[in-house]
Amino acid sequence: MFKELDPILHSQLRLAIMSLLISVKEAEFTFIKEKTGATAGNLSVQVQKLKEVNYIDVEKKFVDNYPQTTCKITEIGIAAFEAYVKALQQYLKV
Amino acid sequence: MNNEKQLSQQESLRLITEMIQKAKGSHFHENGTSAILWGAVVGFCGIMSFAQYTWKFSIGFDVWILTFLALIPQIFIAIKEKKNKIVKTHEQAVLDAVWVVYGISIFAVIIYMNTVPNASVELLAKDHIQLLKKDTLTGEVKPWKPFVLSATSILMIIYAFPTLVTGLARKFKPMIIGGIFCYGFFMASLFTSSVYDALLSGFAGICNWFIPGIILRNRYNKAKKALHV
Repeated sequence: MFKELDPILHSQLRLAIMSLLISVKEAEFTFIKEKTGATAGNLSVQVQKLKEVNYIDVEKKFVDNYPQTTCKITEIGIAAFEAYVKALQQYLKV
Repeated sequence: MNNEKQLSQQESLRLITEMIQKAKGSHFHENGTSAILWGAVVGFCGIMSFAQYTWKFSIGFDVWILTFLALIPQIFIAIKEKKNKIVKTHEQAVLDAVWVVYGISIFAVIIYMNTVPNASVELLAKDHIQLLKKDTLTGEVKPWKPFVLSATSILMIIYAFPTLVTGLARKFKPMIIGGIFCYGFFMASLFTSSVYDALLSGFAGICNWFIPGIILRNRYNKAKKALHV
């Protein structure tokens, strides 16, 4: 029986964000924006969605009067990502 | 990137691979400023010390003081580099921990080098011993401060190094605390005789490895039980 793919992760931008964050310890919003090529507004909405389900931690601070947003994947996020990849492997019989 | 696009399973897998590759290829590159700074300062101090010993002259102050002055630009460099970093990898987190603990250890060795001679004189005085040195040419006798190697103290710095690095890199508090305690025992060992150094070494082993090990074992057993429930 195939596992259902996590609807939170099964979206292009959210999956791209999670794939980036699983590879690093933490990354700034600007880094994610540059790598995904998404608009700031769209990225902001998707980051918020991932934060709401506790897949990522978001820390906002001011550095030299400029806002700086740092994102970091959580334990829950890692587990969800691993489960998603396993489910994908089942579908693709990898 | 369009968020609403429906992904096929193949597209999902491709996207994951692509993003992981992008993250891998974009690590922050050190510009080498710190390495140049410390290489130049330590290189200069070493060569200048050699020159003073060899050609018998003095510049009027201990040249190694420059290494303390180099800490000032280092602080500014570190702050600037931290500001410019937009991503931190797991590897960088471990390397940061290695350099922080290296800094602490160097500081500990400097304290060791400056404390041991005076502490040795005091410990010997308690046993009613004073070491003297005699100039065989003039016959002049002067008190002598021996540099007695305290191998146990040095070992405690080496004990603490990997524990503190692991604790900082993994954010595992028992190892951070164990490592800090180990440096504390090292400090105490500078003022104690070798008998008490051995005791402190035992305490270091308990704080550094035994207690964190017990905590790790409990966590492991809990995780194992949870898997089998």
